[in-house]
This record gives sequence, structure tokens and C-alpha cells, in this order.
Amino acid sequence: MEYLKFDNGVLERVASLLEYDATAPLTLTTGFFLFAFLLFGVGYVALRGRVNLRNAYVVLFSLYFYYKLSGVYVLLLLAVALSDYLIGRCVARRRERGRGTRGWVALSVTINVAILTYFKATDFFVGVINDLYGAGTLDWESVVVPAGVSFFVFQSIAYVVDISRGAISPLGRFIDYLFLLSFFPKMFLGPLVRAKDFIPQIEARDIVVTREDFGRGVTLIVGGLVKYAIIAKALGLLFVAPAFAGELGDGGLVALMAIYGFTLQIYCDFSGYSDIAVGVALIMGFRLPDNFDSPYKSATITEFWRRWHISLSSWLRDYLYISLGGNRKGHLRTYLNLILTMFLGGLWHGVGMTFIAWGLLHGVALALHKVWLEVVPGAKRFGSEMKPLWRALATTFTFNLVAFGWLLFTADDMAQVADMLGRIAENFSFAEAHTLVTGSGVAMILMVVGYAMHALPRSFDLAVQRLVTRLGFVGEWLIVVVVIWMVMQCDMMLAAESGGAAGLPMYAAF
Amino acid sequence: MMKRRNYTSRMLWFTAAVVVGTVGLGFIPPFELQGMSIESVDMLSSLRAATGDDDAPVEYEADLERLEQELAAMDVEPAVDVIDTLPEPIPVRYEWIVAEEPMVKCRVPLSEEVAPAEGMPVVPIEDFDTLEVTRYERFIDKLANMEDVRIAFMGDSFVEGDILTSDLRHELQTLLGGRGVGFVSCDIPFATVRKSVKRTSSGWTAYSVMKPKGTPEVLRDKYFISGYLAEGRSGATTRWASTDAFATLDSCTRGRVLLYSRDSSRLLVEINDTLSREFEIAGDDQVREIYVEAPIDALRIKVLEGSVVCYGASLEGGHGVTVDNFSVRSNNGHAIFGTGATVNRQIDEMLGYDLVVLQYGLNIMQPGQRTFSRYRDQLRDMIAYAERCFPDAAILVLGVSDRWVKSEESGLYEPIGSVDALTSYQRAAADSTHVAFWSTSDAMATYGGMSRFVANGWAARDYTHINFAGGRRVAEALACALRSSLAAELSSREAEVRRIAEEAERKALERQMLVDRNLGAATILLDKFTEDGASQVNEME
Repeated sequence: MEYLKFDNGVLERVASLLEYDATAPLTLTTGFFLFAFLLFGVGYVALRGRVNLRNAYVVLFSLYFYYKLSGVYVLLLLAVALSDYLIGRCVARRRERGRGTRGWVALSVTINVAILTYFKATDFFVGVINDLYGAGTLDWESVVVPAGVSFFVFQSIAYVVDISRGAISPLGRFIDYLFLLSFFPKMFLGPLVRAKDFIPQIEARDIVVTREDFGRGVTLIVGGLVKYAIIAKALGLLFVAPAFAGELGDGGLVALMAIYGFTLQIYCDFSGYSDIAVGVALIMGFRLPDNFDSPYKSATITEFWRRWHISLSSWLRDYLYISLGGNRKGHLRTYLNLILTMFLGGLWHGVGMTFIAWGLLHGVALALHKVWLEVVPGAKRFGSEMKPLWRALATTFTFNLVAFGWLLFTADDMAQVADMLGRIAENFSFAEAHTLVTGSGVAMILMVVGYAMHALPRSFDLAVQRLVTRLGFVGEWLIVVVVIWMVMQCDMMLAAESGGAAGLPMYAAF
Repeated sequence: MMKRRNYTSRMLWFTAAVVVGTVGLGFIPPFELQGMSIESVDMLSSLRAATGDDDAPVEYEADLERLEQELAAMDVEPAVDVIDTLPEPIPVRYEWIVAEEPMVKCRVPLSEEVAPAEGMPVVPIEDFDTLEVTRYERFIDKLANMEDVRIAFMGDSFVEGDILTSDLRHELQTLLGGRGVGFVSCDIPFATVRKSVKRTSSGWTAYSVMKPKGTPEVLRDKYFISGYLAEGRSGATTRWASTDAFATLDSCTRGRVLLYSRDSSRLLVEINDTLSREFEIAGDDQVREIYVEAPIDALRIKVLEGSVVCYGASLEGGHGVTVDNFSVRSNNGHAIFGTGATVNRQIDEMLGYDLVVLQYGLNIMQPGQRTFSRYRDQLRDMIAYAERCFPDAAILVLGVSDRWVKSEESGLYEPIGSVDALTSYQRAAADSTHVAFWSTSDAMATYGGMSRFVANGWAARDYTHINFAGGRRVAEALACALRSSLAAELSSREAEVRRIAEEAERKALERQMLVDRNLGAATILLDKFTEDGASQVNEME
């Protein structure tokens, strides 16, 4: 039992593990989280019937979770929660008296947008000024974007806007609002939750988890781990990053496969982590909205945005696009609003040409699709309404549009975009397929497996969930332990192979 | 409707089972599967003491307050209740004099011998000190006086393996006397090659200041600026042997071993693989020195009993200059905050540093980065820390070296674009703390910059690290800067000597003239005295 023996420093190390460590932020896929979740579970199960104590307990754990993730920025989370909680109450009071609420809403939006702008754009503007007036004009260190800041800021804006629209009534207690904003499974990468859907769950007297819920939760966690910690990580480190960097030659086929590889990688990374969040919440008895619905099966770009990062795109629709006027101000304004919405969505990912180009590409594509729907008779909004052959063609077209969009999204600068496109246009040869299979065989297998999993129909997912549920406690336990073992093996192999540590989900940067 | 079972508590039991299961995975031994080696997994790895390179280096923060407290505590005598029970003082230095060293000094060189060769571009050392006689001038004075001088060269991987420092040492020792490689660590946690010394060690556990989490807590405040500690029980042994890679490295006459032994221990010290002697080291919390004076080509220590923490040994000889290379990989200089102020001060009292060089910054540059104000502030703290630990030493900050990076667009190497900016921030730190500064990148520019270094085979193809040949060029340039300071001092002394000689000559001449002028009168007087005397004597008779 040598393995379970520890030296004298163990207590000290446990203590230092409990502190915030910028090099090891807490995520749902760390070993630390597993142990923390076990300890959390003791109190949670004990307090499950006592709604107030339970909620306070979850809030405390969530704040600790965010502290382990972002350190001192937990205070920013508290400040945003408090300011919008108070503003929400003011807005509601003015509504009751039939008076305008625009001023308060504008205040909330200004505060939140100012926070976002500070964290996301300061570096860019300092850089511009220093380039113009010489290095050191502004003495400024890089701003570290606190993990998940956009996610709680967006939810907070939505809360105030919903109150002003009369869609919800404000929460009576600050702690409930803090619960909504800080709930730990979704803290890092969403999904974004709506107050309307989530508040009843916070206020519910009893926590109810059915056998099916538990089975579905476990399935989501396991599937998410495979997607996030195995496929996305391995594909990225073994193939996509070296191919983009030109380490696998300058062939066109490699470049094209790198783009398709990244397309799968970003989906597996983001949706995998989202699935884990939804799964963890579900076994605690909370239902978070689905964030992805096999997005690459979309036949049109409009459909894509209903299936990709659903909670964000619907947020953009409800709070940005509709606030801009939506489709109520004539055709031209509708198109402009779409483009503007996606432009701002792109800008949110980062101030830079590549993100702006990515946003504009999607905005223009959405607007053109709107035009298409109006001009072409029989044009359809969704693939499910199309004939099979037409649907296949449309899906292929949309997939490639999105994939080449991801090239803009992930490239370091426009020069790299031009370089990759140049490689595909001028240096394309199927003869490279041989070197791809022999040189990057594991990555190719991962791509086939990943896209195949994505292509399976939804009924298959449901069948797997039913199967896992039927396996019961022991079967579920065995699957989880085996998958964790695989993830750890994969981590060690990748570390040995590329020296790259597992790191954070990609979307953590936004 | 039948009430459905609620599975909320399953979350707890399930998580507990998963924790037990995943921890249990650690019992699966490593095995081979289809040619793939499957390793053991360890969920509890963060609870174990980290070994080797597994844990990431830590960024230290400056804590100057703690430094002051630590140094203040050094001066306080331990409180003793009853004076008669005061124990015998524990020796700080254990001496073993085999053959006393003859006191032979080099002759003072002439300023034209010291001055850099004609046409050699000199990047001068910028002295920002505001004292009447600056600390850097005091250091140059000591060189000019031919006193024993010791230089601590602290740096990162740029000077690892004694790159640059070995040539600097050779050049200064040839000019001003002194022999030997200086300080060499006892054991370090990774393999390195150093052609200026042969070190073989076994049985030690080595720790690095860059990995405080991997260091036992009792040893964390025991680091010296060398950055490495080796802890050994009976059987642990290290042998340092001089090489002839440079003419001044062999024929050492002094050896010092620096160690710390919390409890009493017994140690064997052996010179030249023949003569040996045992030392009983009394247990104490302070650094101890074993000082050997003998013709030394190899020095070996072996722990016989107890547990010893050894810093390293110093091989020195003659009178003149000793240069200690303290390179710590991927250190931006912040690791000095992880070294023990007391330890540094104690070792300084033993070795007596006159110049501390800080060569850092290579690893903090990002392509295009223009502002380094945070680093500047850290550097100020590093300087303050070094000043407090080495109160008699001058500080010389070296600017960052030239570095090129591969361009994403063209795939060609281009200047990183932040060298000048970082250099100016480093200069600003030196300016505001009143220490000396020397721009490494300017010196490299006189040879044509990094592209020339790579083209000439003086630097690695990473366009970042110079090799020995490149180190020779940079050392030459730094020595040039030191030499021109020294030459200036020597020539002013020579002028002073000339002035005094001329003055003396003039005075002698004046006296002569006076004598000549008065000679006549004096002779008459003398004659008169003689006559008078004679007549007086006659009268008395």
C-alpha cells in the first residue's frame, strides 16, 4: 500500500491546493473538482429539503469555485450581481408606477459593457496609442480577462432587460440573484441561463432527480469528457496546431484537413465542456438549457445559429438584435441589424481584424439567407423542410462556409488566413493523403470518430441515455471510472508527445 | 400516481464511488498494450512531494519587508537565561591548512596594458550611482589596488554551463591574477555539462529554488543565490576537479565547501584523491565553511554520518579575481526573492563579494512587446534585495541580449522587436536604484547583432541562446568595458604618480639649488665654526 502513503508535507500541500493558483484554475474536469464535489455533496444532500440553507450553501460553494477559477475577481462577480440586483428592483418599481425604465436599463448596460470593454479592449487601445506615439507612452501591463466574465455579464444584462420588458418580476432576495449568476457548473463557459427558466428551480422546495435524469447526466458528463478531454485536446495538439504552424508541410490537403480538424476541435471542445456542465447540474437536480444541437448538420446558416452555442445566439437575438429593432423596421434595417449583431458578436471574441471578419462573414451570410428566403420561391429555412438531395447539398455548403469561417476565427492574423487559403488554392494534391494517414494517423482516426459521432441521429443519443440509465449505479460508475482513466492516459501521452499540458477550454479566452 | 423515487442523494454516493474508483486506478501497474506503454495514473499526485521537473516553476514576489526582518534578526544575539551555561561557540569555519599559500601578487599592470585594443569599440558601463565615490568606482579601485576581488555573475540559461563567464574569468585572471573556477554547486536536479569544471556526485537529493513546492519546507529559506541545494545522508559524495579548458583554471591553492548541517554530522574531505581528513560539524542553523589551503586539483567530500545540506564548493587560487557563475534556468531574476537573506549574507561574509552582476530578461520578452513596467519594478526589488544581501558589493545590471524570433508570415527570423524597449526599462531600473548598467544588446550590435552571431556559428539556431564562441565575444566586450574603466583609473593613478615624482624631483632640484647657492656661505660658516671650536678646545686645554 505504498501508493496510499504520504510524507509529512501532505497537509501543507492540501492547504496550498485550496488557495487560488493562477497556473491551475479550477474547472469541471480537474481532479480537484471531483474531490471538492464530493465534499460539497455531503452538505448539499443533507440540506436538500431546506431551500434557504441549501441555496446559501450552493452560493457559497459557487463563490469558492469562482475564487479558485479567477481569484480576486470573485469580488467583481459580487459587484455585478449587487448592482444589477438593485437596478432590477428600481426598474420594477418604475414599471409598477407606469414610468419609463430606459435610464436604469441604460445604466446597467453601461456598467456591464464598460466592464467587458475594459477587460477585452484596453490592451488593444493601449497598443494602438503606443504604436502611434512611441513605446511607453502609456505605461500599461496586459489586462488578464477573468474567466467567464462575459457569461455572467450577459446574464446580468438579460435579467435587467427582462424586468423592464415585464417578462419576469425581480427576485426578492439578493442571495437568489447571486445563485442565478454564480451557479458553479455553468460559471465558466455557460450555458447562459434565463432568469425565467432558472428562478423556479432555485425557489423549488424539493430537489427532484429522477433515475432518467441521473442517467442522462452521467451520459452527458462521459460524452463531454470524451469530446472535450480526448478528441478536442488530442486533435488540437497532434494535428491542428502543427498543421496551422506549417510544421506538417505546406500542402493544400494538409491545410484543408487542418481547417476541418479545427472545425471538429472547436465543436468538441466547447460542446464537450458545455455537456459536462449540463450533466453536473442535472445530477444535482438543475436543468440547464442545451447549448449545442449537432450544429454541423445545419442546412442553412440561419439553422446553424439555432444549433450552435444556442444560449449565446439566442441572447444575441433577444437582447442585441431585437433591441436594435430586429425585423420590425423594414427589410433593409433587418439586414443591417443582422450584420451589426454578428459584427458585435465577432468583436466580443476579441478586438482584431480576424474576429471582425468572422462576425461580418456570418452577418452577411445570415442577411443573404434572409434575402434568399424572400426572393427564391420554395426556399426553406431549415434542412428538415428540404428534399434529401437538396438538403445534402445545402448541408455540405453550409458546413464549408462555417469551417472556412472558423479559419478566420482561429487564425493569428489575416496573413495566416491568406497563407492557408493560398496553400489550398495553389498547392493542393491528393498525393498528400498518404503522408497524412501515415504521419498523422491517430489524428485522422480521431477526426473520423468525431465526425461520425456528430453525424449520429438524435435518436441514437437518446438510446444511449436510456441504455446508461438501465445499467444502474454500478454500470454508470464503471463507465465514468474507465473514461476518467482514459482521459488521464490521454493527458499523459499528449504531455509526452507534444509537451503541451491539457490547458483550459478554448472558449475560456472569451 | 405512484410517487417516483428521488435520486438526489445518488449524486453523493456516486461521486464517492467515483473518487474511490479513480484513486483505485493507481493500483493498476504500468503495462504494454499493442506496443503502447500504458502508465499508472495517480489522482493524488498533487498531494505528493513533487519530484524532478514535474512541477512548474514558481514566480516569486519580492518581499523586502521579510528581508529586512530576516537581516535584522541576524544581528540580534540569542537571549540566554543563565550566562554560565553559555555553550562553546560553534565554529563558523573549519580550517585545514596543508600548505600555506605564498603571498605572491601580480605586478600592477600599466594602463596601456589594460586599455582595450586600439579600434575596439567599447560599450561603456553606465554608472548611475550618486555617491561621491561610487560603488562601481570602489570596485575598480580594488582591481587597481590588486586586492582580491570576487564577482557573482547571476544569470539565466544564457550563461548556463559557464558560457560567457568562463571567458570573462579567464580574461580578468590573466590580466589581474587569481586562479580557479570559483563556486560550483554540489549537485543539481538535472544534467548539465560544464567544461570549466568536472563534477561527479552521487547520493544527493538536489532541489532547485525554481521549484519551492518540491523543496522540503525546512529548506525553503535556505537557498543561496546559486539556486540549488543538495541534501545528503551518509554515503552522499561529490568531487569537483579543475580542468585545463582555460589556462587559469588549474593549480588552485584554496578550496572551500559551503554547507549547512542542522544536526551534528561527520564529513570526509579529500584533496587530489590522496590526502583526506574528517570533520565533525556541530549541528546548527547557520551556514558553515570548510576551508582548505593546499595545492588542489580535485576536492571531494563525502558524508559519513548525519545529514548535510551542501551548497557547493569553490576552487580558487593565487591573489586576484574570482568569478562565480550562478545560472538558474528560466529564471527572470525573481528567484533571488526565494533565496534566504541570512544565507546570502553569511556566505557573503565568508567569500566577500565585490561585484554582483544581474543578467536576466531573456525569457520575459514577447514579440512586439514594448512596455515592461512591471518587470522594471521587479528588477528594482531584485537590485534592492541583492544590495541588502551583499552590502559591500557594487551591482551591475546587464541589459537583455539580442533575440530574434521566427515570423509567422515569412517564416524567417526577425528581431523580436522588444529588445530596445526592455533594455531601456532595465536601464531605468538601474538609474533609479543608482547602480551600474551595461547594454548587452549594444555590445552584440558591435559584432553585427544576433543574425551575425548565428551566421558565424556563435549562437544557436533559435536566435536566442549564444554558445561558447558567442559567449567569448560578449565576455570580450564586457571585459573591454571593465578594462576601460580600470585603464582610466590606472592612468589617473599613473598621472598622479608622475605628478608626485615630478614634484619630488622639482623639490629635490630646488633643494639642490638652495644648497648650491648657500654652499659658499655655509662653507665659510662651517670653517668659522671649526676654527672657533678648535680655538675653544685649545683654550680649555
